[in-house]
Amino acid sequence: MLSLALAGLRARGSRTLLSALGILAASLVVGTGVTVGFGLATGFDRSADGAGLPDVIARFDPEKRTTVDERVRALPNLETASYRYEVLNAPLTANGHHNHRGAVNTIGEGRRGYEILDGRDLVASRSGEAVVEQGLAKEWDLHPGDRIRVGRELGELTITGISNAPDNVAFPLATTARVYVSDATIRERLGFTPDDANVALLWLRDPGKADVTLSQARAVSFGLGKLEFVTREGVRVLLSQAAGIVISLLVAFSLVALVAAGTMLAAGAHADVQRRLSAFGVQRALGFSPGRIAALQATEAAIVAVPAALAGLAIGTLAVAGRSGELLAALNERPPGGALVLPLALAFLAVLAIVVAAATWPAWRAARRPPAEILRGGDVAPRRQGKEARGGLLGLGARFSTAARGRFLASVATIAVCAGVVVLMLALASLLERLRDDPGTVGKRYQLTVRAPDWLLGAIRDVPGVDAAGERYATEAADSFRLGEQLKLVAYRGDHTDFEAPPLAEGRRVRAPDEIEVGLGLADALGLRPGSTVAAQLRSGAEVRFRVTGIVRALESSGRIGWVQPDRLLAGDPDLKPGIVVRLDPGADRAQVTRDLIGIGAPPRTASAATTRNGEFLAVLAAVLRGVGLAVGLVCLYALVQALTMTARERRGAVALLRACGGDARAVTTVLAGAAAAVALPAAVAGIVLEWAVFGPLVARLAAGFASLPLSPAPGDIAIVLLGLLALSAGATLLVARRVLREPVVAGLREE
Amino acid sequence: MAVVRARGLVKTFGTGRVARRVLDGADLDVEAGEVVAVLGRSGSGKSTLLHLIGGLDRPEAGSIELGGVDVARASERQLSAVRRRHVGFVFQFFHLLPELSGEANVLLAGRMRGAAPDAPARGGALIDRLGLRHVAGSLPSQLSGGEQQRFAIARALVNDPSLLLADEPTGNLDAEAGAEVLRLLRAGADEGRAVVMVTHEAAATAMADRVLRLADGKLEPC
Repeated sequence: MLSLALAGLRARGSRTLLSALGILAASLVVGTGVTVGFGLATGFDRSADGAGLPDVIARFDPEKRTTVDERVRALPNLETASYRYEVLNAPLTANGHHNHRGAVNTIGEGRRGYEILDGRDLVASRSGEAVVEQGLAKEWDLHPGDRIRVGRELGELTITGISNAPDNVAFPLATTARVYVSDATIRERLGFTPDDANVALLWLRDPGKADVTLSQARAVSFGLGKLEFVTREGVRVLLSQAAGIVISLLVAFSLVALVAAGTMLAAGAHADVQRRLSAFGVQRALGFSPGRIAALQATEAAIVAVPAALAGLAIGTLAVAGRSGELLAALNERPPGGALVLPLALAFLAVLAIVVAAATWPAWRAARRPPAEILRGGDVAPRRQGKEARGGLLGLGARFSTAARGRFLASVATIAVCAGVVVLMLALASLLERLRDDPGTVGKRYQLTVRAPDWLLGAIRDVPGVDAAGERYATEAADSFRLGEQLKLVAYRGDHTDFEAPPLAEGRRVRAPDEIEVGLGLADALGLRPGSTVAAQLRSGAEVRFRVTGIVRALESSGRIGWVQPDRLLAGDPDLKPGIVVRLDPGADRAQVTRDLIGIGAPPRTASAATTRNGEFLAVLAAVLRGVGLAVGLVCLYALVQALTMTARERRGAVALLRACGGDARAVTTVLAGAAAAVALPAAVAGIVLEWAVFGPLVARLAAGFASLPLSPAPGDIAIVLLGLLALSAGATLLVARRVLREPVVAGLREE
Repeated sequence: MAVVRARGLVKTFGTGRVARRVLDGADLDVEAGEVVAVLGRSGSGKSTLLHLIGGLDRPEAGSIELGGVDVARASERQLSAVRRRHVGFVFQFFHLLPELSGEANVLLAGRMRGAAPDAPARGGALIDRLGLRHVAGSLPSQLSGGEQQRFAIARALVNDPSLLLADEPTGNLDAEAGAEVLRLLRAGADEGRAVVMVTHEAAATAMADRVLRLADGKLEPC
């Protein structure tokens, strides 16, 4: 069986190579999708486990460690705890770089909550040493053994290790850079033994009961000022505010790319079988059983698929592994390393299974038909009697493409999926740009924010070009019943939709001080519906309650957000200060408005959208997208050229006959152009429909089911895809025509 | 007057030790209205001779004059024009395009740029004349061998060529269908065309005006 299969593959050398290239191209997409998707989807948990991230991080006003420890030890679910004293805005200097926003953590005994990536950890008894976070080390090119000046009093310290802790994104995506020093350093450099703490790291025996533990912690925390808790899940949500939507989009895109690659593999293998129907007829006539033909086909498919899939997966993985790793590093997450082997192995098996099944099943079905029927050419679509061919040579070319229905559908399906993915890429790129630059994407109707005293509000409203200005209150809170659930509360006086109008999914807008509109993400997390009650614990410790009137599709803070009127917030936290938001007139000159606002002492800032503006981070994201996009683009190009080449090759005899009948280069090119158009045009239309009806909604749902992501193709995207496919078709037609015309006519006639 | 005049045709297949010279100085003149049958053993170069005369392939040496053009040295564009205006081919395996009806196959040659303006009308008339009207809309897979070959002959005649080249035209047909095809070829010659036919069939040689044998790369009278 094996030798027969090998002989068959050798005999069809060029077709075997084409099939292998197709499998390689699809596997390349699978490789990129698995590498990016798996890396990003599992990055947080992997890093949290690696670093031993605590189940709960508590921050509070400085207090004696012994006092805090007494309270913490009273928690029944506690496994262990450790304490830090964190000083913010410390100046850092090293390697010619300088930053004023260092977060210097003095750490004592106990678990660290970070892992050492390079070098060694601090030793309690040694002074003059520091551990720096990997984001800072990478940005400033710091290594163990280098020196860093920390603050004014601590002076120069020797870096002993590079750390990673996924409780925040890395510097410079996070504005603060973390440095860890030991008690011994404080003792030696500052002359006292540190005994205060303002951060407690808690590891629980049963992390599933973190909610209960947090309630107990609240109960025993009297005396601790400005107490805030954040759980592992809370950290995950915080991280998602920085880049979560982008990561989710990438992961969702990878999933769609995997589905697309699977479709292409199946279509390609099916088309290959269609091409070989006559050979099956001959084999059946020679006495081969359908089972033997199917088994032979499966063996051939496996022989081609194994090396091609391995190569494609390897190339795809290598193409994006570096950029994916950089993206993860920016999030303080670890690349999957060896853990990637298992999903890649599963992907390999899936590719193999798809190819073998797609090759075997149609072969089995075809081989079971009577041999005479197969030999007569069952692949050719039946045609109505008495209807003359229309459309001239162009129409004839189209007929060449469509006559073999199985191959035609496979080609259209393959190119349609590729075109759909390309449209999705373009829509995704536009969306990412808008998420970065356009506050309107997240339902914000204001364009500028101002930090100014409230008495300037009237003057701001009077600035030409300003349509409206209002006070915006924003604060973080925790659900009173489940303290691990973080939420953001935003308040406006009057109708908040003047400034923020996320689409209403259910219920109605807020009309009274005791009402709240909640994001779908929060509603899902807390099981809220219109009529439910939200009890939120503010930073001040006060509790405020609201009745849910509506649920909105909000993108900000992963949908864990609520809009209220400010009365109850101010009652619970009188220190809460508003910012001022400014909505511009349509067509207003933003630069002029900015100058006017500066002129009245209210310098504005551009309102933020859904993702970070950190240039390096966005550059890494763009690189990852480019890597995945390049792979998909290559597949698209390959699929189109392959379809046209196969049509030309299969109709080599027909083209030779045309030439024998006097057809010149123009006639041959016209026929091939018709064949190309017959595949490319329906594929382009199907691809656009596919993106609009399936890929776009699927990615939007996978990435952010709690919000409305506009991922429909824009007219410009559609034009780009149509023109691109047209250009590719024209190029492929000319290439193939040139090759066909170089061949002696008799060579083609011999094959017919 | 000779419709086609070939002199000293040389054609070799393969290179080195496996090289095989199938034509080695073959000469051929065919007059209008004449049917020439070419005999020879399998692999002797009969089909190659037809391909060279019809401008489907090029000889290594020698000349072929057809319609005022030296086919051996013509450009690809000139060759296309020669095939379109002066040559009609009939093949052993018919070479009908499977996705086109019999009628559409006949009209195919008339669709080319530069084809005879009356080709569509002639195609319709040929279909009627060859008794194919009732199956004109059928696909080749739905036709008998004889019907397919008659459509192929109609296609070869649609541009009213001066030279008809037939490569084993009856080799794939039963005796009755074969006789009908030979009758049509004879009729083509009687209309003033030159017909060159490669064959193994005795019946085919019987209707030819001249019978030549291809041996050792040269044509000799039988």
